[in-house]
Amino acid sequence: MKRAIVLGMVAMLGLAMAQGRTVNLLWSGAVTGPTSDVGGPYGAGIEDYCKYANEQKLIPGVTLNCTVRDDQYQNPNTQRIFEEALDRAKPAVYLGYSTGAMLQLKPLINEVKMPTIPASAHIGLIEPPNNTYMFLPVSSYSEQFVALLEYINRTKKNAKVALVVNPSPFGRAVIDASRRAAARLGQTIVDVREVGGGNLDNTALLRALDAAGVEFILHQNVAGPVANILKDAKRLGLDKKIKQLGAVYTGGSDLIRLAGDAAEGFLWASSYYTLDENTPGIALQKQLAAKYNRSADILNSTNYTAGMLAAAIAVEAMKRAAQRFNGRIDNETVYQALIGMNGPNAFKPGFAVSTKAGIEIDFTRSEQTGAEGLRVLEAKGGKFVPVTDPFTSALFRQVRNP
Amino acid sequence: MRNPWAQTGNYRTSYVQDTTIFANYREIASVVLLLAALCILPMFLERSQVLVLNFILIYAIAVLGLNITTGYAGLISVGQAAFMGVGAYTVALSAPNLPFWLTIPLGGLTAAILGFIVGIPSLRVKHLYLALATLAFQEIFVWVVGRSPALAQGAAIPVEMRNFLGLEIGFRNHNYFWYYVILFVLVLMVIAWRNLLRGKYGRALIAVRDNDRAADAMGMDPGRTKLFAFALGAFYGGIAGGLLAYMQRAVVVEEFTLGRSVALLAMAIVGGLGTVVGSLLGPAFIEFLRLYMERLSEWMKSNAFIQSITPAGVDVASALLPLSFGLVIVLFLVFEPRGLYNWWRLLRSYFRTWPFKY
Repeated sequence: MKRAIVLGMVAMLGLAMAQGRTVNLLWSGAVTGPTSDVGGPYGAGIEDYCKYANEQKLIPGVTLNCTVRDDQYQNPNTQRIFEEALDRAKPAVYLGYSTGAMLQLKPLINEVKMPTIPASAHIGLIEPPNNTYMFLPVSSYSEQFVALLEYINRTKKNAKVALVVNPSPFGRAVIDASRRAAARLGQTIVDVREVGGGNLDNTALLRALDAAGVEFILHQNVAGPVANILKDAKRLGLDKKIKQLGAVYTGGSDLIRLAGDAAEGFLWASSYYTLDENTPGIALQKQLAAKYNRSADILNSTNYTAGMLAAAIAVEAMKRAAQRFNGRIDNETVYQALIGMNGPNAFKPGFAVSTKAGIEIDFTRSEQTGAEGLRVLEAKGGKFVPVTDPFTSALFRQVRNP
Repeated sequence: MRNPWAQTGNYRTSYVQDTTIFANYREIASVVLLLAALCILPMFLERSQVLVLNFILIYAIAVLGLNITTGYAGLISVGQAAFMGVGAYTVALSAPNLPFWLTIPLGGLTAAILGFIVGIPSLRVKHLYLALATLAFQEIFVWVVGRSPALAQGAAIPVEMRNFLGLEIGFRNHNYFWYYVILFVLVLMVIAWRNLLRGKYGRALIAVRDNDRAADAMGMDPGRTKLFAFALGAFYGGIAGGLLAYMQRAVVVEEFTLGRSVALLAMAIVGGLGTVVGSLLGPAFIEFLRLYMERLSEWMKSNAFIQSITPAGVDVASALLPLSFGLVIVLFLVFEPRGLYNWWRLLRSYFRTWPFKY
């Protein structure tokens, strides 16, 4: 009897201790300032998924303390917020945001061994040096571009292509791999232009590309500049002559809202499911948006899906860390959980498409890209519909490094 | 003889006294006290708070340089961030082979050479036209970096220093180590700045700013003086950039864009153009303003009432930071063009003459 009482007390004490445990998760990104059209919904996705994880007790006995901070797209702010978190409430996992800030933080992230899941999919984040703790939720921008070039090659051989990229490391990330891939595919990259926000008149750009015989324009940008180019292409009657395509942050509901019917026919590479598809992730997205009174703009945004996916990966890794390491959830165990998320242990939350092998999200020590499958979607009738099955770029692995 | 500790006015009676760095012993004592306070300050702060201090001190060095070019020589420059960038990239490229105490001056020298070249248009153009020439340099810098594979096309180049004289430098002491290095460099730069301005070269800067033809008539060479001002201002910028590179552990071009140049100019204006104290107060004011606006903006974003009264599609929180920056600059230009330095001067004067009014 005494033994039963003691065991019961120990169990209750353990339960009380377990219930009292708080694990920190940090995201810092552009909730305000430049690119806040991406950062706002992305942060909302993380916030909502965290609330859901706490309500559903996804990690038994653990309360998630999710901190969402606004770095206003300023690298010094990101650095300060990250270091502040390390000082005060060390997170078990860090969800980052912009390309520049993440590239700059790489040495520190590596030094403090902090598993990091950034919104940026710049290939440099997972390239050496200091890349051990970086995990991209979806395929890199470079891989998306190579996949788009492969798609073009399926419809038109020896195509003439122009790249229009954001004037930043984020935009330029795709150029080298695209050049190598185009050379292998027999395509000609006629021109590489840099276009940022405020591109209110793109007549000269489009006329020059048209005169050079460009058949396809590939965009690596955010939706705003792409929408302006699409509207100008329609005004100039070039929308039928030159096909326009873009990587993950170019498309989605934001592009359709900004470009209107000029977006028709735009081809978009994305790993994420759309709101019209019936998957567990998208159903959860709709449910949470309704529950937490999110606006239609946020609900429809792919960036909301992307934020949820990043949070879902982090929470799942924490859960697995707790299971595998006797309840211990910290940066080291979460890292182990992330690199063990493969094969039969791959993660399938239903936010992103799966590869042919049926794998949605997987990581290994050397393969730090989560969703490797992607589809090409086309804007039709005011929404994006898939025009390909999920596929993985065959060429990217060959051209990734020269 | 008057008690040198109780002077309430300017009792200088000779040229030598007029060119001393410190007017009286009390000034020396206050500087020593300030330095002592700055030396022990990190002991009371968290690492991330020391990081904020580091940013302020680095910007103070860049603003000191801007105060030579713009404040003293009157040559408007909106390219100071680019000079910082030149220093930072020089450090990034030379750091694998040279110690930091060589790479940072090397960064300053490289920036100074470019500053000299950028200053050449100042021989022919003035005022807004000169500002445009410096703006062109700023844009060319970002353009060149963005297209240079050797500079990672603007993406990060790691700048790591793990050891200094046997002291391991890592996450725990990185900010503290660089705080003392930056503080030491800042003190050196302030002394050099103050020393320059009490000599003939410094006075030539002021003369050329106030009337370059008159300066020319008096035997000064306005062209050489302007080029000197640009080169020296750029040197300060390069040193600041080099320190920033080490402090941030990597160089990314986004740190050295036009926005940063404008922010540095704002710091110089808010602090008080052409003053050492203003060069320290301006960056501190703008950085703390940024911090508080960040908190306010986060609060506004999370406050349901604020969100409910904001028209749909209008992101007030996003506008808060640029709005507050713009407002602060305009208010200072209208109501206190001499900047925070003037408040500091009035405050000091009040205590110096207390209990009398003057």
